[in-house]
Amino acid sequence: MERSVAGRLGFAVSERVSFLIKSGIFLSICAATMFVALAASYPAVHDTLHNVRHALAIVPCH
Amino acid sequence: MSLRVLVSLFIFFFALLFGSGVRAEELNVYFKTTPRSQLLRPFVDPTDLSLLVTAADGRPIKHGTVAIRLDAPSPGSFFSTDIPMIEGTLLNQMQLPLREGRANWKQLFPIRGEYRVSVDVISADGMKASKAFAFTVRENEKKWLALGAFSSALFVLGFIAGRVFTGTGVRAVPVVLTAALLSAGISGAPQTEGPPKGVLEIEPAIVGRPSAVRWKLAGDGGGGARAATLTLTITHLEKQKVVFAVDRIAVPGEWSMQYNFPDGAEYRVVAAGYVAGQAPVRNEQVVTVTGVEPPASAMMPVLAFFTALVAAGLGAGRWSKRRSRTQR
Repeated sequence: MERSVAGRLGFAVSERVSFLIKSGIFLSICAATMFVALAASYPAVHDTLHNVRHALAIVPCH
Repeated sequence: MSLRVLVSLFIFFFALLFGSGVRAEELNVYFKTTPRSQLLRPFVDPTDLSLLVTAADGRPIKHGTVAIRLDAPSPGSFFSTDIPMIEGTLLNQMQLPLREGRANWKQLFPIRGEYRVSVDVISADGMKASKAFAFTVRENEKKWLALGAFSSALFVLGFIAGRVFTGTGVRAVPVVLTAALLSAGISGAPQTEGPPKGVLEIEPAIVGRPSAVRWKLAGDGGGGARAATLTLTITHLEKQKVVFAVDRIAVPGEWSMQYNFPDGAEYRVVAAGYVAGQAPVRNEQVVTVTGVEPPASAMMPVLAFFTALVAAGLGAGRWSKRRSRTQR
């Protein structure tokens, strides 16, 4: 997929840059997921994961 | 020589003036938790707290009152506890009568950290004493284990991703987020029941802000100052745990305290008053405590820590993949 995208757009990136881009996207997804799961105040998510949040000792909840 | 006389005179008058003040401080105050503080864990079981006030001769004073103030642990420097709105707040403020020099109550400690108890005693003959105590409640070991397992899982996730992302081939990394969405309606308007002889009043409760809890005998004849004994219990309905209780304390027809409900949930407050020669007076009220969202300052360090763990895993995974490739 990476090669096909690079071929279509007409540019190629080094392996190091490729890793950084992929890692950045992966970290962003992880951070967003953790924010929703552990910090969002949306009632459905909060109520479902309330006990998980308290069980982790350092995750603030109410 | 004259200087010595002057110093002697100064010491003599100093002792004369301030010596009596020291002697007036003749009450001894002792504080005890049962079980002992090393065994206490947050939100596990209510703890028996007791104060003993003795005179200088070691005998418990017969009568008196004690004003008690219990403060929650101060906020941590980096990570918060699981209930940050409670940190550094007044948990409980009340006045209890001394019975044979003792005052007892039950309290559930909501978070880990150092609690502070301030005590002001006034004996029936007007003697006063103040003392502050501190004790530490340690975090539940199961929670530290859960945190360790979760942190390890994040590191491993990052490690695998780091290995996958390193190299020419690109493989899709499935990120599956499963969230079972269950909505639970919040209901439960405060309800009051019980015989009309007692009145139980509770201010609207918000986490982190003490609410006044008042009980009094209703005037069926204007006897507002009738002596009674009161048993008051606050129970966390979801966890079915007693979070606060006083048992048969002598009150002059009414009693009040400031109480900080520890989390946004429903609590049952039951007051039972006993007046000599009359049937017990029982009041019950269910309180829905409004939860308060933790501030961003409490959220960010945790999220940063967890994301850093994933990032560390990514780095370790990449290092591992490159190392194994160079060794081939």
